[in-house]
Amino acid sequence: MTEVLTSVFRRIGGPLYNNRRLLNYYWQRTSKNKLAVAGLAFVIFLILLALIGPLFTLDPTQVNFEQKNLPPVGLSTEVSIYDRATGEFTATKIYGMWEHPLGTDSKGRDMLAMLISGARISLWVGLIATGIAIFIGALIGVLSAYLGGWADNVLMRFTDVMMTFPFFLLLVMIVFIFGSSLALIVLVIGLTGWTGAARLIRSEALSLRTREFVTAAKALGASDGRVIFRHLFPNVVSLIIVMATLSIPGVILAEAALSFIGLGDPSVTSWGIILESGQQSLDTSWWVAVEPGIMLLLTVLAFNFLGDGLRDAFDPRSNI
Amino acid sequence: MIHMGKSWLKYYIIKRLIYAIVIAWGIVSITFILVRIGPGSPADKYLANMSVKGQDVAQITAAIEARYGLDKPLWEQYANYMVNLFQGDWGWSFSTSMPVIDLIKTHWIYSFQLILLSTIFAAILGILIGVYSAVKKYSKIDYAATFLSFLGISIPNFWLGVMLILLFSVQLGWFKTYYDTTLPLFSWENLKALILPVITLGTGMLAGYVRYTRSAMLDNLNKGFVTTARAKGLPERTVIGKHVFRNALLPLFTIIMFDLGSIVFGGAYLTEIIFGIPGLGQISFKAIFADDYPVVVAVTLIGTFLVLIINLITDIAYTYLDPRIRYD
Repeated sequence: MTEVLTSVFRRIGGPLYNNRRLLNYYWQRTSKNKLAVAGLAFVIFLILLALIGPLFTLDPTQVNFEQKNLPPVGLSTEVSIYDRATGEFTATKIYGMWEHPLGTDSKGRDMLAMLISGARISLWVGLIATGIAIFIGALIGVLSAYLGGWADNVLMRFTDVMMTFPFFLLLVMIVFIFGSSLALIVLVIGLTGWTGAARLIRSEALSLRTREFVTAAKALGASDGRVIFRHLFPNVVSLIIVMATLSIPGVILAEAALSFIGLGDPSVTSWGIILESGQQSLDTSWWVAVEPGIMLLLTVLAFNFLGDGLRDAFDPRSNI
Repeated sequence: MIHMGKSWLKYYIIKRLIYAIVIAWGIVSITFILVRIGPGSPADKYLANMSVKGQDVAQITAAIEARYGLDKPLWEQYANYMVNLFQGDWGWSFSTSMPVIDLIKTHWIYSFQLILLSTIFAAILGILIGVYSAVKKYSKIDYAATFLSFLGISIPNFWLGVMLILLFSVQLGWFKTYYDTTLPLFSWENLKALILPVITLGTGMLAGYVRYTRSAMLDNLNKGFVTTARAKGLPERTVIGKHVFRNALLPLFTIIMFDLGSIVFGGAYLTEIIFGIPGLGQISFKAIFADDYPVVVAVTLIGTFLVLIINLITDIAYTYLDPRIRYD
């Protein structure tokens, strides 16, 4: 299994995997962009958080009404509590406690644990859906450019139709009809989100198709498959990496937006779902709405910085 | 330059219009099938609306289904729907008990005002900041603008909406937490009520326009004709305004038009839901939950056609903005 994966990776990631000097060169160029490095650091931090964070936090689904609406540590809120003996409301201050460093929601669930669980969901959604989308996009783009003629025409018209379809409405409809499961959401986002990638990769592959090395390969008797996978694909890898990095935030936001309007998978704790419940309790516990949004913002920002830096680093014409 | 007529443009437009109709037909079909294969019947919500008491519900359901042709096989319903649509009959909204066309007539203006104001807000401010940023490249203000525009692109607009409500409506009490639909459309109160929704929807676009304007300006700033203009001794204002900015406008125009088309089901959709603005986004959102397929299909059709027509207008406008562009 690992052998197959390695060979696939070598084949597709060819130039980057085999040529350490090239990889080093790209790293040198990327690392000059401070924001890109910061973005990369945050992405790595997020991955670690999602992988090992849950081992150290409380159970994100643990409900505890005794400790509901606790503010984050260092903050306090005023709550009016009904006193049965006197029959009056008394204003009491409650303070955040270290047991729940980021506070709790209206059901007493630990915010930190929920946010870390949400990081897991968001990364999962972002990576898998982007993977599906980029795979389809690259396949259609390269095929379309290489085959040309009527095949190119059919594939590109199909791409046009997919591009025109109101994507978010489609997502809402499908999720409403077939039920809110995370796998379905990921699949729909992946299966509809490839259009931009297909167009960009097609135009890149079109210019590559006429280069000498492709003509040389063909003259030496290489099959279509060999030309596509050995010669065209490796040359669009840098473009694919940049596109993937820049499309992950969109996917994460789409899932969050869907959860936010009440169509998220109820069996998982995603940032969008926390945000939705936080919107209902803005007056009693504002942090429930603020915290997942900050996580979303930082994640999207990090991927955008990283993608932007990579694009400049991979572009030989840009002088950094 | 020899001025060639634009007779080819007529054929081009006809070709594109036919193409638009085919695509719209495909999308309407997919939407129709998706909504109708879902569980539940539009009659259920219709009944709930009429509050039937003490009557045989099953019998009434059957009667309603027969009346609106919902008991026929799906392909027949589809064929009827398409024929009616072609004849200008948009169908009957089951969940609101009114013709779809009337529903859209009363609600489109809410989406329109939101989208129009957001676009104006984002385009004017975005272009001004972008031009300034490019002219004062690598200054402190340029760095600040670049960073803030990254922030603006990355901020989830639905979260921004919630934060604006939290800060300005809940904490400061400057605005209502919900959009007041009783306000007259062309009034200052209505404009004030739209401030938060416009910022929610416009921030992402604004940030995008800052970045596009800046890079489009920089692309042109070191071109030969700019050097020529400067060498002629033209004042810097004229060089930037007439020579650089006019050339930067074309890519900007593309992106603004693209946003205008995609926004209906993008940001505007969520913004309408957050602030309770009864625009097309909100009515189609409610219609999906109510199995009200005529509304869903109609709104999808409008959204799709809007995108296609705006794309066509953009392409035609190119030929006037840049006479070098031809499509034949």
